[in-house]
Amino acid sequence: MGKRGMNRRDFLKLTGAGSLAAAAAGGLGGGLLTPKWVWGATPSVKGPIKVGYQAVLSGTLAGYGEFHKMGAVMAVEEINAKGGIAGQKVEMEFRDSTTKPDEAIKNARYFVDSWGADFLAGIDSSAQALALAPLMPQLDRVIMFTHAATEKVTEDFVFKKGVKQIFRNCMPTYNDGHAAAFIAKDFPAVKWSTVSPKYEYGFTCWKMFQESLKGLKPSAQFIAESFAPFGTTDFRSHINTIMDAKPDGFYSTEWAGECISFVRQAKEAGLFDKVKYAMFPVGAAMDVLEGLGKDMPDNLWISARYFFQYPNSKENNDWVARFRKRWNHYPAYVSETGFSAIYAFKAAVEKAGSKDTKAVIAALEGMDLDCPAGKRHFRKEDHQAMYDVPWGQTVSDPNYPFKVMKNMKVIPAKEYFNRPPFEGPGTSPPFK
Amino acid sequence: MQSYVHVILAGLSSGMFIWLVASGLTLIFGVLGVLNFAHGSFYMLGAYCSFTVLKYLGAGYWAGLLLGPVGVCAAGFVVERFFLRHVYRLALPYQLLLTFAFVLIFDNLVKIVWGGGALSPPTLSFLGGTIPILGRNFPVYNLFIIAVGPAVALLLWALLEKTWYGRIIRASSSDREMAASLGVRVPALFTGVFVFGTWLGALGGGLAVPYVGLLTPGMGETIIIEAFIVAVIGGLGSLKGAFVGALVIGVLSAFGTRFFPAFDMFLIFILMAGVLLLRPQGLFGAAR
Amino acid sequence: MKAETRNAVAAGAVLLALCAVPFITGKFTAYLTIRIMLLGIFAVGYNLLLGQTGLLSFGHGAFYAAGAYGLGLFGVHVSTHPLLGVAVGVAAAVLLALLVGYLCVRHTEIYFAMLTLACGMMVFSLVWNAREITGGDDGLIGIVRAPITLFGLADIPIARENHFYFFVLFFFALSVWAAHRIRRSPFGLALAGIRENARRSEFAGVPVRRYRLAAFVLSGAFAGLAGALEALLESNARPFMAHWTHSAEPVLVSLLGGLSSLTGPLVGGAIFVAMREIIQRFTENWMLWFGILLLVIILGFRGGVVGTVSALFRKATAPGEG
Repeated sequence: MGKRGMNRRDFLKLTGAGSLAAAAAGGLGGGLLTPKWVWGATPSVKGPIKVGYQAVLSGTLAGYGEFHKMGAVMAVEEINAKGGIAGQKVEMEFRDSTTKPDEAIKNARYFVDSWGADFLAGIDSSAQALALAPLMPQLDRVIMFTHAATEKVTEDFVFKKGVKQIFRNCMPTYNDGHAAAFIAKDFPAVKWSTVSPKYEYGFTCWKMFQESLKGLKPSAQFIAESFAPFGTTDFRSHINTIMDAKPDGFYSTEWAGECISFVRQAKEAGLFDKVKYAMFPVGAAMDVLEGLGKDMPDNLWISARYFFQYPNSKENNDWVARFRKRWNHYPAYVSETGFSAIYAFKAAVEKAGSKDTKAVIAALEGMDLDCPAGKRHFRKEDHQAMYDVPWGQTVSDPNYPFKVMKNMKVIPAKEYFNRPPFEGPGTSPPFK
Repeated sequence: MQSYVHVILAGLSSGMFIWLVASGLTLIFGVLGVLNFAHGSFYMLGAYCSFTVLKYLGAGYWAGLLLGPVGVCAAGFVVERFFLRHVYRLALPYQLLLTFAFVLIFDNLVKIVWGGGALSPPTLSFLGGTIPILGRNFPVYNLFIIAVGPAVALLLWALLEKTWYGRIIRASSSDREMAASLGVRVPALFTGVFVFGTWLGALGGGLAVPYVGLLTPGMGETIIIEAFIVAVIGGLGSLKGAFVGALVIGVLSAFGTRFFPAFDMFLIFILMAGVLLLRPQGLFGAAR
Repeated sequence: MKAETRNAVAAGAVLLALCAVPFITGKFTAYLTIRIMLLGIFAVGYNLLLGQTGLLSFGHGAFYAAGAYGLGLFGVHVSTHPLLGVAVGVAAAVLLALLVGYLCVRHTEIYFAMLTLACGMMVFSLVWNAREITGGDDGLIGIVRAPITLFGLADIPIARENHFYFFVLFFFALSVWAAHRIRRSPFGLALAGIRENARRSEFAGVPVRRYRLAAFVLSGAFAGLAGALEALLESNARPFMAHWTHSAEPVLVSLLGGLSSLTGPLVGGAIFVAMREIIQRFTENWMLWFGILLLVIILGFRGGVVGTVSALFRKATAPGEG
């Protein structure tokens, strides 16, 4: 039996388990692979633990789905190698969510009603998240959104409507909109302009940026804006609009391929020579950095929902090294959120001792989880994870084939996250 | 003044670019009577093949532009010879459906071979860079596109109007049976024209590599609708119409985006609806 | 006579089978069946325009969206009564179809297709940009499935999936029956005549443009019904319902199943939904295999699946029957 078996039996006695349970555990302990955790008197979790993950795997954003998959698969492999969740193997099925809400709904129903998923994860598009949200009480499984950024899903659906099954471990629009203002307030720029996506995400972030900056720096003016529809490849007319207005500050939540095209074309047009302070809240995404490579201008202010150089901790650096070894790629932010989502499920199930949705929700609320991105705190009121992400200026580094950050600034999440009850004075930054 | 000039230049370059893509589509419809929905896929394949020659074989952009479309022509040949040929006699919806099936197949194949992530070419050394026009920088490559557009138009005109081969093509398109009875091997001719149209589409894709600057598996879809609209506005089957239509659309869209941003999502559709309501056959289409 | 009763029996059998689905299959299959029925309503109405009248429209998604947003906005601002909501949705679709149809019907063939595409995309942009009213690309949220109150007497709940299934089944059966009657009516036969030879029909005294418009509006009404029902199913309405890629679905599905029969679009819809789901279970590369499947059907099954199967059936039973 060995030392391990002895320890378990002693522990069981200490926790007051019945002798029957102790004998059974002892009997099991020697012969099988013992997991490293002890469940005490709680009933064992029935396996396998099934996770249904969906992300965009086709069309112009297909790269994101692949990045999600890398993170999530790595997590499943590592967890299973160490004994699984509560001693049970983790099974994951991956589906193409496309960008259409009805596909996302169909996949979610498939996962739960047909495949028997215990957990759902993924989703890139805000519209998909909002379409899925009303369905969650019926499906009654915890879903961890790992990309979709709209604050409406947590503020309206979790907090106001009480859809407790929804969690999000990814940074929402608060960083793109509010935190950017905290960084911008120290710049001498006062005349701000934007080229942003012509859909809710773009409108919301620009609005948040304006409101926060006005609060932090009343002299700020917003003199030019141009919104580009989804799928725009030629931004030159939009760039012309901005340059005609002669601003000294520029803000853009263009992301993914559009960010790459925009930065290229703006650089050609000389926008960054005329405007010294340019902010790209999702410009530090891996696909943007790699896509622009050496052509990315220096001194742009960028951020992302996770940047592999932050935090400069052993855990994160080890994780990045492991990720690179496994996939021969630097991790995208959706790789980190996908990875951390699986670990969040693990922590919740093991804390609750069960995979029952209600128990998992109770375990996740208020939980602090150590992730590669740092410590995440799942806020009880809206189930949104609070964690810190860096802002910094683009700079060349001989160690990397793409630009990285210098002058890193981290605004603590609690200074700029919207606060419950999310309506009325004092619920959005800047806070007194 | 500066902003007007730049808007016009932006409009000219996007217009000429769309003309380059729409030329193949128009040629195929004009001669074969087939609306090739997969034209966007050939554009995409052209871009990816050129990019591969450029990046992975290290041969440089111009080699990529020359060699890339050749591979795509093989795909075009297969599509016409073994599949499309069977639906010439069928109604329009079937042709659209068949070519749509190829859109799905090619999009997925591209994703399998090149991955789903967006690919970004390095900046060009020759023809890269910018040139200041009235105090604001304008990309040299865009000027190149503005020049290539009319060059291709001239080439096509010369081919169709001035060569013997062109005469045969025009004859076969207006009366298939007569041409056949005169000894023209019509099926082989049609395959040839289709492959040439495919080549034009792939060339557009190759030219797009530095112009659009981004390759994704969905890039064919966004361009094909614009190409369709331009072709329809110009009059389906009329190369002159497509050229003029592209020019008009390009410049008007640039003005629209710059001065009337509220409309930019559906400006192109309003323009098409407007033209069709006033002149149902398009600007230069054959009157019915 | 014999064919009539045979068809009626077959229809009855299918109806019975559909009634049994929620009881004998799992929740997900029942959900997929609802989606097949919604697509079926959309497509069977659409085929009145394409298969019967010979007009290819790429803008019917706009009427689907009108139905969805009509019901949604009515439900959020006025009343959540489902039947009223459906009526409002259908009415909105009909009005929009009247407007669009009036503009487009004077053209035919490819120009009609492009014009309807343009109109559909204009509706799409309008819905996307009118964020204050429609919610923009977030979609219209807050649609609920309230119980049906019948004259203050009975309260029929439809919130639960199983109950809603029968709500949809009712409208599905109604739609198929209506389409069947329209096809067989003098009006329907006139439409077929217009499809075959518009000029001759005109000489015969058929008011071609007015009949085409009527077919357009009717097919729009079916689209609106399907849209309203989907809004109730998914509790949201979204701009992409009006996008041309969505308008292409009934075209695809009708071609798959067969343009010339009533059941063609329905069978096509079932194949479309089922095949996509099945392929996705095996591979992420569903587009590739779905494309290959389409090629096989287009080249191998002229006249669609139903057309080919019924031709085979007729050949097999031909001798001896007048």
